[in-house]
Amino acid sequence: MTAKRYGMSIDIDKCNGCGACMMACAVENNIPPAPEAANDRRGVTWIRVYKIDNHLAYPERRTAFVPVLCQQCGHDTPCVHVCPQQAVDVDPETGIVGQMPERCLGCRYCMVACPYHARYFNWWDPKWPAGMEKTLNPDVAPRMRGVVEKCNFCHGRWHAAQQKAAAAGKTEIDAADYVPACVEACPTGAIRFGDLNDSSTEVAQDAARPESFRLLEKIGTEPKIHYRSRRDWVREISSAPRPEGKDGLRG
Amino acid sequence: MTTTRRNLLKFAGGGAAGALLTPAPWRLITDTALWSENWPGIPRPARGEISARFTHCTLCPAGCAVRARCVIAQPVSLTGVKPHPISHGALCPWGIAGHHLPYHPARVRQGPVKEALAAVARAISHRSAGERVAVLDLRPGRTVSWTYRRAMAAIDDGLYLAPRQPGYAIDLTAAKTVVSFGAPLFDGWGTPGNAFAARANFRLVQIEPVETRTAALADVWLPIRPGTDPAIAAAFAGEITVAEAARVTGVTEQAIDALKEAIANGPAVVLAADPDSPLMNWNAKLHALGRTVVARRETPVPDEWKKAAPVSEMAATADGSIRLLLIDESLPGGYVPWQDIQPKLAPNAVVVAFSSSSEGYARHAQYVLPAPVYPEVAEDIGPAIDTVAAVFRIAAPLIAPVVPVVNPGELVARIAGLPQSDPLRERADAIHKSGRGTLLSYADGKSTAVKEATADDFWKTLNQGGCWMDDSGKKAAPEHAVLDGAGVGRSGTRPTLHDELPLTVVVAGATPGGLESPLMSKLERESNLRMTVNALSLSPADARSNGIENGSHCVLETACGRLSAVATIDAGVPAGVVEVLGGPRMADLCGASLRARVVRV
Repeated sequence: MTAKRYGMSIDIDKCNGCGACMMACAVENNIPPAPEAANDRRGVTWIRVYKIDNHLAYPERRTAFVPVLCQQCGHDTPCVHVCPQQAVDVDPETGIVGQMPERCLGCRYCMVACPYHARYFNWWDPKWPAGMEKTLNPDVAPRMRGVVEKCNFCHGRWHAAQQKAAAAGKTEIDAADYVPACVEACPTGAIRFGDLNDSSTEVAQDAARPESFRLLEKIGTEPKIHYRSRRDWVREISSAPRPEGKDGLRG
Repeated sequence: MTTTRRNLLKFAGGGAAGALLTPAPWRLITDTALWSENWPGIPRPARGEISARFTHCTLCPAGCAVRARCVIAQPVSLTGVKPHPISHGALCPWGIAGHHLPYHPARVRQGPVKEALAAVARAISHRSAGERVAVLDLRPGRTVSWTYRRAMAAIDDGLYLAPRQPGYAIDLTAAKTVVSFGAPLFDGWGTPGNAFAARANFRLVQIEPVETRTAALADVWLPIRPGTDPAIAAAFAGEITVAEAARVTGVTEQAIDALKEAIANGPAVVLAADPDSPLMNWNAKLHALGRTVVARRETPVPDEWKKAAPVSEMAATADGSIRLLLIDESLPGGYVPWQDIQPKLAPNAVVVAFSSSSEGYARHAQYVLPAPVYPEVAEDIGPAIDTVAAVFRIAAPLIAPVVPVVNPGELVARIAGLPQSDPLRERADAIHKSGRGTLLSYADGKSTAVKEATADDFWKTLNQGGCWMDDSGKKAAPEHAVLDGAGVGRSGTRPTLHDELPLTVVVAGATPGGLESPLMSKLERESNLRMTVNALSLSPADARSNGIENGSHCVLETACGRLSAVATIDAGVPAGVVEVLGGPRMADLCGASLRARVVRV
């Protein structure tokens, strides 16, 4: 089996911030609704769509929506280095940065180390309204309070695709069988997914486009999420630590 | 060597300190974590046979095709159906989590059914002359809407009320330029998948005061002053000069000239947030009628249904004439503000709302009866504004109702004494009898001409995941009063100035209404991606002048009432505007005036 390097390409110019990706992710990965006390800092959303703007006043002001998830760093993955429990690792077969909540002791070093603020801590026990637990996805275990979690490119779907391939006597999974929930849900087709090592895939071709960029490219973590936009100001914001100031995030 | 008490203590202390340097305590922590993962407080997902079932989403008129992944018949996730020719496999965030609605903690779970039925019977039998029994149907065009109409025809002085429906369809695929006056094209206007699929082929000019999600994706956004939309249309109609239009709207003359060029560049269509807006008249001048604005044929119904009561509007109803009002709010739809309904009620009127949420008419009705929610009962969905051909699609139930519910259609039919029947099946048979159109099956993606299918197969496919679509036929111009081509620039909803209410309310985005999945907290409270009903946005200048800070609690005051809200200061909001989320509460609060002020608490 050849090693894959799964990645994503996200066309910011197509994203209208509907949030379908966030909902599909929460449904797929059994992320519970927020308790009353949760806010934008303490909630859990493996993929979060940020609203950014060009910092001009009305009517010159323009906005864009940037879905931010674990960037699946391919080089010197910061969260892997700092975890004292080996609860984070990079799968050499897929390039996916995995998180094992059962090993996590909740020290949150990885959250501090992550340059993309794409890791979330479970401040509360996972709870669903009475009866709604029947709608949980059987392929993903709910996580307990006190551990960190993050996007793993819908690892449950990867396992299912592996099992399907094995049942058919194949060693390679069919690309159509492994599509993360956010990619499947995006109504605009802004998010694409595939093997970055395979130059024939759309995602690899997207990554090679001139308007393609990655978040904080200069720090050398080699993220596998490739964004693209034809707007200069959007590309410039990607090199900042965060969209400047909380005001830029609208809340 | 003698063992002393001191040595024993030294050994114990040294051993404890040394143990801390071994992996043992860390291992213990891990084991604790493993134990906590499995404690009984964490729900365990059910396991069992996994299957796929198909249905249609009823949360809005788009009626997107849905594939449900089920574990032992319980839906655990919903996705779109790729081969569907209209929805193209897309679902909105509300549709993706629609299977959570039956378990919503705020759902109306019980109601005074016996008391309501007794009050209904009393109201019908004790009516004075001229007092009427009415059904208000928020989602007309469904099969149950025909049941209501038949029921109202069977009752003396029965009245079937519904929000006005656009008497035309918009063919986005035929447009090269779309000029939208605040129509939320990509955020709840028609069928999401259809609008996105057609997007690459048209140029979008969005004209509205704030940069909504649609404006953010538009090729050109013209940020006009609130309520000045008719001036743009008037400039095109030659009723005013371009310079005058620029002065009134606040956009440049060049922008208006560029709009003229865009419109001249092929088939165009003008859309308005209100489908009955006089702005839609512009389409007649653009020769869009019959090309991008077309007539849609009615989905066939049994002949005997055609004697049903006509569709009436609330505004045309005499004041004080409704003795009994039954409101079907089981599906979210076009909300009629309560201040428009209240004058029409007789002094001793009885109002019964069939509702699953306490947000809408449940706030006003004397009796609120628990209605089923998606995906609990079989229901069909009328066509969306961007559905060019007539359609018939059934939202097959995925689960049985989880609380005791009252089916509004069955109850109204019983009150009117209609014979028991299965209206969905009768309508499906009428469609089959017409021999028109094709049947698309989602399981295998096959299209079959209706003529080639038996009536039973037709019915079976519709219930197991399928959609009937009428023959496309030749496009025809719609017959609709608002498309007469006259007076495109006449004032529509221009807000009246009011010194005490200095801000113009701009509704930017709306929810489908009714219940929404508790997971919507991800988009609202946990990421501030979407506004909530108790939130508003102000420009920095207006916030300063009212002493309001970001995140401060305030009150939105209008001529009709007050609403507590949390303020966000947003430099993207123009001065003089307060941006809010639409919905029943806001419709009741604002009415037609669209003027407000914000007061810090």
